[in-house]
Amino acid sequence: MSNGVHEIEDAALLFVFGYNGADSHPIVARRIVRAKQKGAKIICCDPRRIETARIADMHLQLRNGSNLALVNSIAHVIIEEGLTDDKFIAEHSTGFEEFKELAKNYPPEKVAKITQIDPEDIRKAARMYATSGRSMILYGMGVCQFAQAVNVVKGLANLAIMTGNFGRWGVGIGPVRGQNNVQGACDMGALPNSYPGYQNVTVPEIQAKFEKAWGVKLSNKAGIPLTQVPHYVLHEPEEKKIRAYYVFGEDPAQSDPDLHEVREALSKIELVILQDIYMNKTGQYADVILPSTGWNEHDGVFSCCDRGFQKIRKLIDPPADANVLTDWDIICRISTAMGYPMKYDNTEQIWNEVISLCPSFIGATYEKLEKYGNIQWPCRSTDMSDTGTSFLHKDGKFANPDGKARFSSIDWQPPTELENDEYPIILSTCREVGHYSVRTMSGNCRLLRNLEDEPGWVQMNPELCEDLGVKHGELVKVLSKRGSCIARCLPTDRVKKQAVYMTYQWWIGACNELTIASLDPISNTPEYKYCACRVEKIEDQQWAEKYVLEEYQKIRESMGVQKDKGGKAA
Amino acid sequence: MPVKQITSTCAYCGAGCQISFTVDQEANQILEAVPAPGRTNDGTLCLKGHYGWDYINDPQILTKRLKTPMIRKGGKDSPLEPVQWDEAIDYVAKRLMDIKAKHGPDSIMCTGSARGPGNEANYIMQKFTRAAIGTNNVDHCARI
Repeated sequence: MSNGVHEIEDAALLFVFGYNGADSHPIVARRIVRAKQKGAKIICCDPRRIETARIADMHLQLRNGSNLALVNSIAHVIIEEGLTDDKFIAEHSTGFEEFKELAKNYPPEKVAKITQIDPEDIRKAARMYATSGRSMILYGMGVCQFAQAVNVVKGLANLAIMTGNFGRWGVGIGPVRGQNNVQGACDMGALPNSYPGYQNVTVPEIQAKFEKAWGVKLSNKAGIPLTQVPHYVLHEPEEKKIRAYYVFGEDPAQSDPDLHEVREALSKIELVILQDIYMNKTGQYADVILPSTGWNEHDGVFSCCDRGFQKIRKLIDPPADANVLTDWDIICRISTAMGYPMKYDNTEQIWNEVISLCPSFIGATYEKLEKYGNIQWPCRSTDMSDTGTSFLHKDGKFANPDGKARFSSIDWQPPTELENDEYPIILSTCREVGHYSVRTMSGNCRLLRNLEDEPGWVQMNPELCEDLGVKHGELVKVLSKRGSCIARCLPTDRVKKQAVYMTYQWWIGACNELTIASLDPISNTPEYKYCACRVEKIEDQQWAEKYVLEEYQKIRESMGVQKDKGGKAA
Repeated sequence: MPVKQITSTCAYCGAGCQISFTVDQEANQILEAVPAPGRTNDGTLCLKGHYGWDYINDPQILTKRLKTPMIRKGGKDSPLEPVQWDEAIDYVAKRLMDIKAKHGPDSIMCTGSARGPGNEANYIMQKFTRAAIGTNNVDHCARI
């Protein structure tokens, strides 16, 4: 995020796009509520009537997959009505003239049939965003999980640049990052194209710096993104194939799109290593299991969604009968056995090495994290007075070589797999407030599991339920070109008739059996928010209920759970 | 009962909430989690923050805690057999070195983790991938 979470409540206008905070980040969502209480206007852009829509001044209930058409149209109105911040554009940006040409093609009246939004509403929203004085954009997976995703982010950035909503308190653009340490994994260079601190692997000076620090020759060729692993296993020629896959703290056999293809890939990889705290679906394909300590059993640092480094602390020891090691210790031992010795006594030693190599992090010492609790990078000085940076781009300075923000001129493109006669409905994935990711943590918490359990729900418009003759709580079959699963019908007028919604942590209601592995060409994020599906009524409900129970028990047993433990499906 | 209050960061979403845990160190048990005053959470927590630590007690509702290294000694279709750490580490190192020797470093893919392990473990994983294996094939579950 370009701004801090704590700044959200001080915005004069929040433009919340494809971001359902109430389910994905309840505590960030509280800031949206507080902003409203303090007088902020809220515009919510989402195909569903999410909680934010209920308190919003405007809800633009756009058609799924029309994001960039709407964003470009808002830009069109801002330009047409002379609401741009011309001084900011002139001093701090490049590419505006070209963008103006593109935006001409997006009058609200023209995009109405793509977005399904009243042109007057687009005009009103554009005026509100451009004239509030302090507008902040918050976006989430409703922007990122499309094959056209990065370009929508650039489109949203266009809006912030042209109205001067960057580089001040309470403005900016906030990708509210989902997982607890997804920001941290990126910060640390668990990315195929960058070393820690976003230092590109293809830049010779940076390569030389890391070669010197690590005492070894390094590759200058960017690596493979994780979402392309199935392709590299199944479809690349022999000399380019992936043959070993070291999976650390994740479960691609549950969380990745088109699970049939993922399973086929996992079963064909010569060596699959799983390092985790719990058995999971991927573990069933693992040749080796390396058990590690869990959150609360080790020290370290997390990065939260707004670049904030914070300590995690060891609270307890692992169970007495558990022969587990910390993740970093396991990896260091393997590395040493392979002839590249790595040895550290504690996480602080590792952290000191990290920050010594990353100019943006160098001031975020353990001493400061202990003293201040939280340091938002960039923090470029070890002096105790440097406590980090709440908002980026102060005084209109941007990270490009010329110090200026760049306008991007990009046309909207439709999603990859459109509805058709056989699969007439849109399937989009979404979040479940009580559960987290593949739920090996939250599903193993006695209280949280009581909130929701297998097989999960499929959110459907009541009219669609009526057409299909299905009622609340009935088990239904959901199918796509790639597979099928069984879930419980949840009629809700929060969703339009043209789309249904499912969450991805269920084994039986596994929506990733259906999703499509169509990736954004830049971020390689799958199009989880759009594929074509069909919902079918199941006549024999007794059979279906029995199937769910038996299947649940079967999978639990395959995960090593004893028969008398745990519970039954809800 | 020697009870201690320890503050840590929640592992359930990107909000970065601060939690004050009550820990019985003698019994090696977490007793309670209440909100701590953090910059982002401002003294509040959601349900996952309050109750999301119980998994550490291994109630075996869904899956089982992994407590020992395991190897499929008889190939892909054989069962996972418990082994000691030295054997597991040697096995992984040898097989990775074999694959690297035969097919090159770019035939190996590693992942970081956006979940509980933390920044230091991610740093070590990408350093291992780049320096010990010799490839930039390292990525994580940022996109799900």
